[in-house]
Amino acid sequence: MVHAACYADYKAKQDNPLRLHYGVIEVRGDCNASNAESQLRSALSRDGWQLLNVVSVFDADGLDQRRDSAGEYFLRY
Amino acid sequence: MDWIKEGTAQVNTSSATEAREIGSRIVIAGIAAIVLILAVTAVLLFINLPDANAFNMRVERLFVENDNLTSNAEIKLLEILAGSGTAFSDTLASYRFVIFVLLVFATALLVAAVAFLVMLIALNRRMGRIERQGIEVNSLTISRDQKAVYLNDFEFKLTDAAIETLSVLAEARMDDEVMTGAEIEGVISGRDAADCDEAAGATRIKRLRDTLGNQMMSELLVKNIARKGYILAIDKDVIRMI
Repeated sequence: MVHAACYADYKAKQDNPLRLHYGVIEVRGDCNASNAESQLRSALSRDGWQLLNVVSVFDADGLDQRRDSAGEYFLRY
Repeated sequence: MDWIKEGTAQVNTSSATEAREIGSRIVIAGIAAIVLILAVTAVLLFINLPDANAFNMRVERLFVENDNLTSNAEIKLLEILAGSGTAFSDTLASYRFVIFVLLVFATALLVAAVAFLVMLIALNRRMGRIERQGIEVNSLTISRDQKAVYLNDFEFKLTDAAIETLSVLAEARMDDEVMTGAEIEGVISGRDAADCDEAAGATRIKRLRDTLGNQMMSELLVKNIARKGYILAIDKDVIRMI
């Protein structure tokens, strides 16, 4: 069985000086917020980012409207 | 009678030292209180000033709580907000240092003020005692070759015999000794005290008192102004007739 494409948008930060970003990732496996969260945490911490929260989980239909906001962090991780 | 006298003398000395001890304890307590109060102020100051992260945490919360704050420009604005907050908290840190330095100054000044106050009170008391006592001898210098004795700043000329008597008395005082008239006469004349007459020593003392007393009176009370006459060397406000 093939999963439908699943995406999540999130907010993350870096300290000293405070830097923030909003991004979109593709969620592998179960399409829910907690799965997205665990996936994000490991991906972000490699670059020194800290996950603040997962805003929502959505499918391919929601991608386009978030492309501009996420900017360079659109599907980066 | 002797015993009673000794008893009162002892009580007097002990009470004087006690008073001094209480005074110094009060001074130490006062200074400690000042230092304590200002130290507490400094600690409260350091605790209560917001740290640099306070601003960042506010901005972060704002970012998390508002789901629609997602566009690039908005996020940049939030970052700038946090940055200016951090800059402001740096300014606060420098203010904090300035305030701390001022607190240290204040402590030093207050401690000095307390110390001076206590010194002033002590000096006042001493001045009052001196004023009531008339003359307090702080220094006694005997100059044999100039045949003079210096009491504080006053110079008194003495005869050879009077200088001799005063020297003997001064030496006895340094050894905490009391001398009888016969002993004084014995030391000065070089004979055994048992062979000397008590009256001879008494005469020497009388002569010393006369010359010294006379000169002290003329210096302290009845002044002689050359070619003008005599005047009482005291403030006219202190004279009262009853």
